[in-house]
Order: sequence, then C-alpha cells, then structure tokens
Amino acid sequence: MTTFDSMPACCIAPPDLLEAVAGQGTPEEREAALRTLTASETSRAQRASVTGALSRLTLTIADVAPAPGMVRTVYDAENGGDFDLPGKKRRGEGDPPFGDAAVDEAYDGAGATYDFYRTVFGRDSIDGRGLEIVSSVHYGNDYDNAAWIGFQMIYGDGSGQIFTKGSLTKAVDIVAHELTHGITQFTAHLVYSKQSGALNESFSDVFGSLVKQYGLGQSAEQADWLIGEGILGSALRGTALRSLKAPGTAWSTPTGGRDRQPAHMRDYLDLPDDGNPSNDHGGVHLNSGIPNHAFYLAATAIGGNAWERAGRIWYVTLTERLRPRSDFRQAAEATVRVAGELFGVDGDEQRKVRAAWQQVGVL
Amino acid sequence: MKVSIVRGGGIAGLVTTTTVDSASLASQEVAELRSRVERAGLSDAPERSGASGGQPDRFDYELTVEDGGQAHTVRVCESDLPGPLRALISYVTSLPGRQERVGPPG
Ligand SMILES: [Zn+2]
Repeated sequence: MTTFDSMPACCIAPPDLLEAVAGQGTPEEREAALRTLTASETSRAQRASVTGALSRLTLTIADVAPAPGMVRTVYDAENGGDFDLPGKKRRGEGDPPFGDAAVDEAYDGAGATYDFYRTVFGRDSIDGRGLEIVSSVHYGNDYDNAAWIGFQMIYGDGSGQIFTKGSLTKAVDIVAHELTHGITQFTAHLVYSKQSGALNESFSDVFGSLVKQYGLGQSAEQADWLIGEGILGSALRGTALRSLKAPGTAWSTPTGGRDRQPAHMRDYLDLPDDGNPSNDHGGVHLNSGIPNHAFYLAATAIGGNAWERAGRIWYVTLTERLRPRSDFRQAAEATVRVAGELFGVDGDEQRKVRAAWQQVGVL
Repeated sequence: MKVSIVRGGGIAGLVTTTTVDSASLASQEVAELRSRVERAGLSDAPERSGASGGQPDRFDYELTVEDGGQAHTVRVCESDLPGPLRALISYVTSLPGRQERVGPPG
C-alpha cells in the first residue's frame, strides 16, 4: 500500500533556525518566528498538488527527497512557558543518556512512538517524512500536563495532584497520545470541537494504547486498554485517566466527581463549544469514549495483536480518509470501507468493525 | 475580593476550579493578591475567540475577579497567557487558603 499523506515541509528559513529565534529572540522576533512556523504548515497543504502529481507517476516524496529517519532532540524548558521554548538542548539523536529522568524518558518515549509508526505502518515520523521530534521537558511549574503544541512536545513535571510527579514522561501511552495529535495535525486535521474533536481525542487514545501494547507485546485480549494507568495524583481515585474497555469507570474524586465518558451514543454529552473551559470544546475528552469503545470492541472481536488489523484500519482511515469536519458516522463508515479494502469485502474484519460501531450506537 | 479560576482541557480533560476569598487570607496575602490583580490588567487581557477549534490538550482558563460589587471575567488560552496573568494564576493556585475542586467537564 502506498500512502500520500505527507507533504514536504520546505520553507525559506529552516525550522531549526526559526525555533532558535522563537526561543531566544526578542519578543518581536519570537512572534515573527512563531508565525512563520505556523505559516509553513499552510504551505505544506499547498504542496498537496505536488504530492498528487508524484502519485500519478507512482513516486512518493520519499523517492525524490529521502527522509533522514528518526531524529529526536530533547530540551530543558527550565520551568519557562511558551515564550521560553525550546530551552536548553540536553540530548540529540544518538547521544548517550543525559542523566535527567525527564529528558531521557521523553527521548525514549518519542523513540518508542516513532518505532511503532515506522515498523507497523511504514510512517516516517509525525509528518510522514522524518520531521525532527523536538521535546521540551520541565515546562512550567508543577505543570500537570503534556501536549503537542503544533511543532514540538512540552512536558510538565506534574504537581502530584492530577498527575504524580515525574509521571508524564514515564507513561508511553501519554507520550504517544500527544505525538498522535501531531500526526492528526498533518493528516485528517480534525477540528478540535464537538464530534471531530472527540475523534481527534479518540485517535490519540487508540494509538496511545497501541504503542503501549506493541511495546509490551500484548494481544488485544491481554491489554489493559487504559490511558495513563497508575499515574493519577492525589485529587483522583482510580486506575487511570480513561478506559477504552469500560469508558466512564476510570476514576472518581473524594467530593463526588467521576469519569463521565459515555460508551454509547444514547449517553452522548452534547456540550456547547463556547469558549467556556468547563465545556471542553464541546466535550472532546468525554464523547471520545464512544469511538474509543468502538475500537476496543472491533479489536477484541478480531483478536490477535490489535495494531495488526484493527489498528491498520484506523490508521488508514485517519491518514487517508477523514476530513477536518468528519463526524462519528463518517468515521465509522470510513473504517468499514477501509476494512473491506484492506481485508476483503464482507470479510471477518469488515463485519466486526461494522458490528462494533453498531454496538456503540453510531451505525 | 474574590478571585476564581476555572481551568479546563489538558490531556486529562478535567476541570479544576480554584477560588480565593480575601476574607480568609492574611493581610499580607491580600496585599499581594491585589497587586497581582492590578498588574494582570484584566480589562486589557486578550479575549479567547469564542467557539474555538484550538490546539489539542492545552489548558483553557476563565478568570473572574469580584470586587466591590463588580465582577470581571476573562477567558484565555494557555498559549496566549501574558506573563502578568500567568503570575496571577500561579499565585492564586498556590495560596494555602484556596478552595479547589476537580471534576469532569460539563
Ligand atoms: Zn489529547
């Protein structure tokens, strides 16, 4: 199978230089560099036509511009914020361990995620053509989060409240969840709002879990299907942040809060996307439970290693079929079609994928 | 004076609400809080542009200051947080006398 999901990222100033300016320049220079980094993504889209032309010649970008392979660079943000990124360089590709757990775990987590996508799907990094994976650790103070911010990863140290200290770089499913947001940015570009946003979240949970399963050599049957297992801080009781196997059961709080992820369309939480932080862009981290559970049902019904068949169907759907505003139903129909194309129309895989979406009330 | 901060998003997708009331703070803390509120210049803070899109898993904030019968609210995405507003948020969320609640969105 040939994929044309990636476009060349050429811009006049190399991203390295822009990032250096974004990190070290005057405020005006930083702003300009950040604008350029964003703009270069737009120009990538304009190069889709080049990729299309190449595809008619049965060439890929890789044939005309061989990708460099895995390149990881880890920086220390030294408790700074966005305007201090990327920070001080601590470890480049091939360097020995630096000796700071966060630095070395971010390096290893990026490596595990890169290896998974490369070995299982033939994908070369986030953009499909060898994008350097830049990570900055020690972002902010007691920062309870990790995120892909459009061109690099940031990792906080955790406060002990939402996440245990030092856990955000340790959990490979968290690392892979965030890096998958990068892959979505370069492919389906699912808009982070309501159903398309919940799909964006779900693909990150699905591949976050698959990277963990792949690393542990676990079959669909053996996997725990949890996201962020064992890293919850003192404000939360429970096993993990989310469960693909049993959405809505992962955690609770001493004051009566609990995991409210639905597993079926009848429980869909139709929150507004109104800029109110309480509404989570229209419930993107809540309703992701529905497509998450559909993936779990399909993968366990198909059996074996979840990344081999169910994972491939979801990967091709994300990288080649979905559009920015795709909704649950369109995603479900696309996975059913892709299952037929990859493994045979009316075959076991296609029937089980369709049944999974029917069980969660989407089809 | 009452300051409340609602933080949503992040990879966890949780909503954390932090509130401080000057009535339950030491006088030194009240002075520090007032000065940080002034420096934050809430009326000039960049407004988050309504229905969003936006970047996955970043924090979104809603900050409300109630003082002398007036309330002022700003919404801002973490990536656009100006330094003084960031400083106010980190002060409020680390005050020992704060009230804090964590829960799901909605
Ligand atoms: Zn996410």
